[in-house]
Amino acid sequence: MENPYRWIWQYARRSRWQIWLASGLIILNAVSVVVVPLIGGLLVDQVITQRHLERLVPLLVTMVGVTLLRTIMRYGYIMLWERVGQNALFDLRHDLFAKLQSLDYPFFTRVTNGDLMARLTGDTDAIRHFLCWVTYNTAECLLWFLTAIVVMARISWPLTVALVLVTPLIGWLTTRMSREAHQVFFNIRQSFARLNAMVEENISGNRVVRAFARESYEIHKFQQYNQDYRDQNMASAAVSRRYLPALDFLAACLAVIVLLFGSWLVIQRQMTLGDLVAFNGFLWLLNQPMRMSGWLINDIQRFSAATIKIKSLLEAQPTLTPAQSQSAPAIQGAVRFEHVDFAFPDAPAVPVLMDIDFAVQPGQTVGILGETGSGKTTLMNLIARFYDPTRGRVLVDGRDVRHWSEAALRNQITIVTQDLFLFSDSINDNINYGNPVATPAFIRRMATVADAHDFITALADGYDTVVGERGVGLSGGQKQRISLTRALVKNPRILILDDTTSALDMETEATIQRRLQAVTRHKTVFIIASRIASLRQADQILVLRHGRIVARGTHEQLIAQNGYYAETYRRQLGALTTTKGGRAHDHAEHG
Amino acid sequence: MTTRNTANQDETLKRHFNWHDYARLGHYLRPYTVRLVLVLGSILIGNVAVVLGPFLMKLAIDQAIPQRNLPQLGALGAVFFISLLIAWACFRYRIWAITAIGQNLLIDMRTDLFTNLQRLPFAYFDTRPHGKILIRVVNYINTLSDLLANGLVNLISDVISVGVTLAFMFAINWRLTLDSLGLIPLLIIWAYVVQKKQRTAFRELSNKQSNLNAYLHESIAGIKVTQGFAQEAAATANFDAIADDNRQAYMRAVKIQYALSPGVQNISTLTTALIYFIGIQQLGVVVSTGTLIAFIGYVNNFWNPVINIGNFYNSLITATTYLERIFETMDEQPTVRDADDAFDLPPVKGDVRFRNVCFQYEADGPLILDHVSFHARPGQTIALVGPTGAGKSTIINLLARFYNVTSGQLTIDNVDSQRVTLASLRSQVGVMQQDTFIFSGTIMDNIRYGRLDASDADVLRAAKVARADDFIQTLPAGYQTVVQEHGGSLSAGQRQLIAFARVLLADPRILILDEATAAIDTQTEALLQAGLAELLKGRTSFIVAHRLSTIRQADQILVIDHGQIVEAGRHAELMAQRGVYYELYDSQYRLLQATE
Repeated sequence: MENPYRWIWQYARRSRWQIWLASGLIILNAVSVVVVPLIGGLLVDQVITQRHLERLVPLLVTMVGVTLLRTIMRYGYIMLWERVGQNALFDLRHDLFAKLQSLDYPFFTRVTNGDLMARLTGDTDAIRHFLCWVTYNTAECLLWFLTAIVVMARISWPLTVALVLVTPLIGWLTTRMSREAHQVFFNIRQSFARLNAMVEENISGNRVVRAFARESYEIHKFQQYNQDYRDQNMASAAVSRRYLPALDFLAACLAVIVLLFGSWLVIQRQMTLGDLVAFNGFLWLLNQPMRMSGWLINDIQRFSAATIKIKSLLEAQPTLTPAQSQSAPAIQGAVRFEHVDFAFPDAPAVPVLMDIDFAVQPGQTVGILGETGSGKTTLMNLIARFYDPTRGRVLVDGRDVRHWSEAALRNQITIVTQDLFLFSDSINDNINYGNPVATPAFIRRMATVADAHDFITALADGYDTVVGERGVGLSGGQKQRISLTRALVKNPRILILDDTTSALDMETEATIQRRLQAVTRHKTVFIIASRIASLRQADQILVLRHGRIVARGTHEQLIAQNGYYAETYRRQLGALTTTKGGRAHDHAEHG
Repeated sequence: MTTRNTANQDETLKRHFNWHDYARLGHYLRPYTVRLVLVLGSILIGNVAVVLGPFLMKLAIDQAIPQRNLPQLGALGAVFFISLLIAWACFRYRIWAITAIGQNLLIDMRTDLFTNLQRLPFAYFDTRPHGKILIRVVNYINTLSDLLANGLVNLISDVISVGVTLAFMFAINWRLTLDSLGLIPLLIIWAYVVQKKQRTAFRELSNKQSNLNAYLHESIAGIKVTQGFAQEAAATANFDAIADDNRQAYMRAVKIQYALSPGVQNISTLTTALIYFIGIQQLGVVVSTGTLIAFIGYVNNFWNPVINIGNFYNSLITATTYLERIFETMDEQPTVRDADDAFDLPPVKGDVRFRNVCFQYEADGPLILDHVSFHARPGQTIALVGPTGAGKSTIINLLARFYNVTSGQLTIDNVDSQRVTLASLRSQVGVMQQDTFIFSGTIMDNIRYGRLDASDADVLRAAKVARADDFIQTLPAGYQTVVQEHGGSLSAGQRQLIAFARVLLADPRILILDEATAAIDTQTEALLQAGLAELLKGRTSFIVAHRLSTIRQADQILVIDHGQIVEAGRHAELMAQRGVYYELYDSQYRLLQATE
């Protein structure tokens, strides 16, 4: 695994001037830590003992001045480090978000939304904390430690050596702690992600929870996730409990060594009493870093554990290889499938599409009928290259979609999915999502085509009405019409309507279809529908069953074939005929 | 409709943090009083070692060294060592106990918040981005554990330290003590100035964090739309703008937050200088050299805990901005809730009656339902027909009491539905909604959500009736296939079949199908109908469907338009009336036939 420090340096290095400046200030500050105790000594020696009263005020002014300077410097470098941390966090979040945008469907079927959220919030926060707190605290500790050794060795090197002998023991403890803490913190991150995911789903699925009166079940489930999170934190406390007090104890033992060995040295006249007092005064510079080491190790391991999941997200590769071409030429709208097979990457043994072969001329309308799960939506996803076929080719304008740039395809092919998603934003901004420069007039015209204009203007704030996330609060039919408008405003060359009007009554649907014909005359249109009324005008109708095209032709041809299509037609018609005296039946036979 | 909040818009705060909320925090700490006292004890005992060190050193310097008394020196070392061992044990206990208290506190608060969230109506979730709710339950509360457990105990120990030190100082020299307290007002002014700005800054920051979470959540949930419309670059630019807001707000907040401690340090040094100045002026008159040096030491001892208290205060201010939001959500009152004297609805036969029911979302809003009356007898199938937005879904929402009726009465088995508990009502009313939601987990568990104690065989049976079994069997792992929220690789129709099986498994007395089969193909639907006919027997059911073919067998067809029942009757009767229903039916017929 790549070293997490080298990795985070890529982000921190962009603020390297701030880092240099901050480092300079840290060193100045750490060295000047000895000034105030020294002034204290001078006050005692010169002013009190030797009665140089004229030096009192200058010394006091120096003391106050140095403290002021030191606090300003410290504030300065804390702010600089915070800035470094924020800049790195910003860049990191940007990279993560951009990465998410580039990942394809197979990736999103493997992870929960809550897990992704946790990586961009909690995990990045651990990294921020590392950059803007752990860094300078570690630097301070190291500098204090070194300053202490230099100053104390000048006073008495045997005593200093005796103290430094404890260091390997501390090093050994921190190394062990480091190893144990890493796994524990990783478990905490994982548990946090699960908790996040559980709450996220509870909020998103609140309608189902209410409808089944499952509130207490959800609370119970929540508590289990909570308890797991607590247990993971307690496991971390167990590691801390093993090492932190031990480190503290060792650091405090330095004072015992000074007391015993130092006094012995004084008794042996190898050191003066005054030196011992001075030495003792500097002791905190040595043992404070030792005390802190355990806490810092904890923070460092928390950081290191957080980088694992962030790096795995940054390194995730889309399964689809990007196209060579980056140009985005205009699409005419010819679509051809050449013996296409498809299976989902996570279930390669289950064929979803088999030997799909058809051709569509620019401007044609293609209807697709098929059973639930027969592969209709998948078929459409192959055109916009949300997936690649496992065998065969999909061609747009005679060119393999794998050779089109993604931008060319996505800008000119629009799918109105069954899965309706609206952003929590105004209806207007939802509609012009794919075409932010669309004029209000154009938006109105397209909304009228989708039969959305009337109900939108009937809302209190009209087009400025803010809708809830996923479009909650609107009826299914309203959402369908807004997302249809959104696709029309995008004005693509190829328009794919995936069961877009299923939640509308048939009359509205018929109105929309009629108006659609006028605006899609030059577009290639695919219509997936289960109502024959939506399909019958198509130039070509494909009937899909179990992933194969079992029949194709116009409405009349398919009725004549008397297969699945005709059967569906009779069922829909037949359902309406009992009281109408079999009129439909007659017609079907004649058609 | 109430105003909705969006991802790039700060939320307004209904009520600011006040003293009452501290009491409320105290309420969460109460169960841990004994443990907190023990922790406090362990800190105080542990501190003895800290205090003992300098004292032992003093003894060594004053007595053992001048007298070259090696045994005494050894004894001093031994005492010191033992006190350190005790400190070790105390520290071990403290780490464990503090984490336990903090984590349990988190559970308590989260559970309260989450429990209230379960009581809130759809409208609460519909009017704000979900990421903003999520951040309150998960992230905000996380920030509190350390403050409440560790912070509080340290605060108490610091206050005790300050008190003890002050007592020593007064004992040594009360005049110098008063002098050294002279700068305290400066400290208070400084703390006041900082906290005012800090509170505003952190409130701003918490808003920005909430916005970021909201945008993030929505972007992940809506990734397919973003990619489908090739708006990745625009989304990233939006995200950057929100992340940059966050960065700016954060920097503003820490600039203020970190200003407190330099102020305190400078005041502390000024005090030391002041004591030197006054002390040396009066040296020999009122103060001895030894006293002055000891006093300077105590002044330092006094300021260390004061700096710590300042830091605690600092994090408390930060935390209150989160607490405001947490308490706000905890206090949110559901509009639909159990009455004080609500009772459990006994098992019902399924007699449903609407008497002059009117409904509007807000008092001054438009009338969504206008004096709707009908009577569904046990076992009947009622079909609701009418254009989009006519009020069909509202009738259904009232039935399951997702909303309360504005006026009129809704009774089930002659019991007013507003008088019974929601759980007892909803467990007998099964709704299959337009929006199908799939939880991440196995298909088996998703169906079992309808009845948690159902056996695998029960689940299979429901799936068979719902015609979901066929496609589930073709999946590689069958019923154990793991699906993600929003379905992943399942088609919309397949998701509806799973949701259908879920409702069937719940086996409700009153069954509501709200456009339940829109995404399902005709053949599957026909098969479904066959199974359904069996299932509808003995249940009162309400069916909303646009395909009139699905509702022909209904015992009553209610034609709804503009919030009113405009026609009611059986299919044959309504056809004979040649009214609205006939028109609807005929137009569908013609559309299909397209004879013109």
